Amino acid sequence: MVLEVHNLHTHLHLKRGILRAVDGISLTVGEGETLGLVGESGSGKTLTGLSLLRLLPKGSGRIAEGSIKLDGQELTTLSDSAMARDIRGRRIAMIMQDPMTSLNPVFSIGDQVSNPLRNHNIAQGATLRSKVISVLTQVRIPSAEKRLGDYPHQFSGGQRQRIVAAMAIGCTPRLLVADEPTTALDVTIQVQIIALLRQIQADTGTGIILITHDLGVAASLCHRIAVMYAGRIVETGPVRRIYKSPAHPYTQALLAAIPRLGDKRARLQAIPGQPPSLIDPPQGCRFAPRCPARMDKCAEPPPTVTLADGHEAACWKLA
Amino acid sequence: MLALVLRRLWQGAISILGASVIIFVISRLSGDPVVMLVPPDAPPSLIAEIRTQYGLDQPLVWQYLLFIGHALTGDFGNSYRWQMPALKLILDRLPATIQLAACGLLFSVALAVPIGVLSAVHRGGWIDRIGRIFAMLGQAMPAFWVGLLLILVFAVQLNWLPAFGHGTPAHVVLPAIALGWYPVAAQTRIVRSAMLDVLDSDHIRLSRALGTPERLIVWKYALRNAAVPLLTMLGVYFAAMLGGAFVVETIFAWPGVGRTVVEAVFSRDFPVVQAGVLFTSILFVLSNLLVDLSYGLVDPRIRDVR
Repeated sequence: MVLEVHNLHTHLHLKRGILRAVDGISLTVGEGETLGLVGESGSGKTLTGLSLLRLLPKGSGRIAEGSIKLDGQELTTLSDSAMARDIRGRRIAMIMQDPMTSLNPVFSIGDQVSNPLRNHNIAQGATLRSKVISVLTQVRIPSAEKRLGDYPHQFSGGQRQRIVAAMAIGCTPRLLVADEPTTALDVTIQVQIIALLRQIQADTGTGIILITHDLGVAASLCHRIAVMYAGRIVETGPVRRIYKSPAHPYTQALLAAIPRLGDKRARLQAIPGQPPSLIDPPQGCRFAPRCPARMDKCAEPPPTVTLADGHEAACWKLA
Repeated sequence: MLALVLRRLWQGAISILGASVIIFVISRLSGDPVVMLVPPDAPPSLIAEIRTQYGLDQPLVWQYLLFIGHALTGDFGNSYRWQMPALKLILDRLPATIQLAACGLLFSVALAVPIGVLSAVHRGGWIDRIGRIFAMLGQAMPAFWVGLLLILVFAVQLNWLPAFGHGTPAHVVLPAIALGWYPVAAQTRIVRSAMLDVLDSDHIRLSRALGTPERLIVWKYALRNAAVPLLTMLGVYFAAMLGGAFVVETIFAWPGVGRTVVEAVFSRDFPVVQAGVLFTSILFVLSNLLVDLSYGLVDPRIRDVR
């Protein structure tokens, strides 16, 4: 396994109280595998990704409990300088949501793409330059050699996301955390970025965690899906099983909410209610207040039920 | 790029022309210069004669047109008081003023940038708090008082630096500090808030996520982004220092334009006042042009828009 996360708790210490943004999640990513972390806004997807890099909001964010192992090495106990030197950008890299703001506007892309390679002592001088050109070529930036001196504003949104990807894969990381990499892009460009991520994975065997709220994107790229709700993983399984036979009522509601072409229904299916406050979450199942299949037992924490090989869901209905 | 320079120069020329009208009219509102030149008991005929000699009996508009016409050929008239070309009087003192303003600006930036950056990085920490107190002190202390304090401590008591005069690099230290002290506060605030903005941006977050050392993130990748608002301010402050240096120049007996012009105002020495103000406004326009051009060096987006 490239990544093994066990019982991870990430807390945000706010004035209103402790927000349990990530509340005991466990997940694994294998070599060359893509795990989709799916859920609505505020479900803790992004904080899970940031926890892996230990880049939580300064002052308020803290990993309270749990273990994160990268190739068997425990990350939660590493010093911050060791994280910066050996892990961030070197063995775990991240791609962020908005390509328009993810690049520094006042530095050339040559400088920015070479930055991680330089910082992690991967290459220097002429080797560095040729490495930067080859990485940019790999992400399909046309005539990369001539464009090293160009600045981010001279590239399109899709190209910028490719450049961000080039920065991330330059050091051939073991794990790539892609946080909504396609959300800010046009549909046609989305397809290109998905193809690019696939190609990167085929070339380097990197594990990918794809954080998205877009089930379509997740379906087209992921091997496995983990559905998050209110800081917890409610269902996880192979992508086909999740889409064909979702077990958890939340996953079912999420899939039902996707509008389909040719569908005769006049109204969109929405999930009634709001996600719970994570400062004072419900004791039992967190989806219970919105769940159509709610039972009395749901006031107690639900058991995790194994339905088939690798398909698990946390719900009393399945127990 | 060339088009921009030409456009700015054209705009600057209009500003300078406007400044010339204002200074020409206002200086004449201050009274009759001839009264200052002759003894109190001088006969009216002598006064009238001198007025004719200086062309002060002509209509104001005609006087102005003559002044501008001559000024365009580099002739600003003779100083009433010193009986030498006003232009030479000003140009002789211009380098000292530019030197003082540049050193003052350098001092303020050298102080404001580190304080502003560290305040932003350690927001709410002790550096931030001390920086804020320091900046407030700077803004609360007028230049003449800072100047006197500096002379008292560093020249009189410690005897480290000369109290007044001009010539060696040591002479510029105290006046530059006195002049640069005040803008430190505002510049620190600008740097601090610009840095806070940048440090919170996506690209800095990405740099962190890719393991860039914090030192590089702050002093290289964030600082250059924060430089644009600072640059704008520097242009304004440099110009303000050129024009506003007369207090400091007076305290430290610095042979600059400011002091000369103030003296000329008191003696109603119109040609000197006009030449001095006009040259200050030319420097003002040029320093702003320089700032405009330097944006492009710092921010490539601006380079392309033009």
